[in-house]
Amino acid sequence: MSDQDGLAAYFEALLFIAERPLTTSELAELAEVPRLQVEAALGELGQRLEEDGRGLRLQRMDEEWQLVTAPELGGRLAAYAARQETRLTPAALEALAVVAYRQPCTRAVIDRVRGVDSDYVVRSLLHRRLIAEVGRRDTPGRPILLGTTFTFLERFGLTSLDDLPPLTSEAAALAALSSLEDGAVEAVPGEPADAG
Amino acid sequence: MPLEPIPIEVEPQPFELQLEVFSGPLDLLLQLIESRQLDVLTVPLAEMADAYVEHLANHPVPADELADFVGIASQLILLKSRRLLPGEALPAGLVGEEEPDEDELRRRLVEYRALRDASRTLAAWDMARPSYRREPREADLPEAPVEPMPSSLLADALQRLAAIPEPEPPPPEIVAREVTIAMQIATLRAAMGRAGQVVLQRVLATCQSRTEVAVTVLAMLELVRRRQATVQQDELFGPIVLRPASSGNA
Repeated sequence: MSDQDGLAAYFEALLFIAERPLTTSELAELAEVPRLQVEAALGELGQRLEEDGRGLRLQRMDEEWQLVTAPELGGRLAAYAARQETRLTPAALEALAVVAYRQPCTRAVIDRVRGVDSDYVVRSLLHRRLIAEVGRRDTPGRPILLGTTFTFLERFGLTSLDDLPPLTSEAAALAALSSLEDGAVEAVPGEPADAG
Repeated sequence: MPLEPIPIEVEPQPFELQLEVFSGPLDLLLQLIESRQLDVLTVPLAEMADAYVEHLANHPVPADELADFVGIASQLILLKSRRLLPGEALPAGLVGEEEPDEDELRRRLVEYRALRDASRTLAAWDMARPSYRREPREADLPEAPVEPMPSSLLADALQRLAAIPEPEPPPPEIVAREVTIAMQIATLRAAMGRAGQVVLQRVLATCQSRTEVAVTVLAMLELVRRRQATVQQDELFGPIVLRPASSGNA
């Protein structure tokens, strides 16, 4: 068993007993190895869980990691977990999509993209803990910045934000728009997903 | 008012026009374009003005969202009028932020479409294959007692609460002087009541802090918004004369 295998097993055990997500720094401190090595070991752990068809997956959000059940088991586990979840409205899903792809973003961004006041849906998403305040923008008024949560990843069966459906239609359309306008080059506003 | 969840078709199917429900003014515009099988990237948005306005007229939207819909409608109408009157310069007052920019509107449509489509994919994934995290240990504890608790428990708790003495009032010196809009509305009303009108600057001159000045101005705006007063200012920086509204429904 290589050092990396041993480290991956150690982290798997740590994340198994932890009742909350652990950060890269915490794991580095516990294992007394550099963060880069933590990332490598966790990458291997996540990959192995998936390739071996295990019942667990490694979920990542920025610097935090947690073990969750494999999404393909979700339906069969629902009987045990018995969570009463009401479906999200199209308006709520739109607002959630804006936060997911543009995070961290302010409520004003959600209003602008949707073209309609989103106060109610944002509050309901906060209430369901699908999004959370992640800080404040350093602009006048210091508006609250919103981001998605682990609850969001769990609900949609994603292991990280990289699993979000790509916004290819937008990138292609904006490129086409730019070429329509006499070669005026416009930056694509907001890079999907890789910001986090 | 919360909207009822609406099932969303996610499989690519022949487009079914369903304009009864749209989640915003951009959604409506996009649906009108798509229902005509036009390309968002090339359709002259000015040509959508009539359809948009007509749809709005026939399908009233909730009052609290109406402004957003009217905002887009006015942009489309202005785009259209500019097409009808080519070469006409916009009146000076309209240049600037208010000027409808077709490219900007088209960009917003493209951005909205991308996120709307993504949200439809997410709708299909919503609770379809969820992950679950470890439950907190508390879940292992025995269930709460099922027999109803005696209501005397509640009464006892209330009595204990009542026995807790009121918190002492904070020392007066650290309490900020509090001026509320309601207070300043009363002040303005009293001032108007005496003479039938009042010059705002006179009232402001009696204020003791910047906060009080700001709140007094807000109070004036609130009175105007409630249509309980009218204001008149004949020249820039001139006296602002405040009068009770003639049809005062106070």
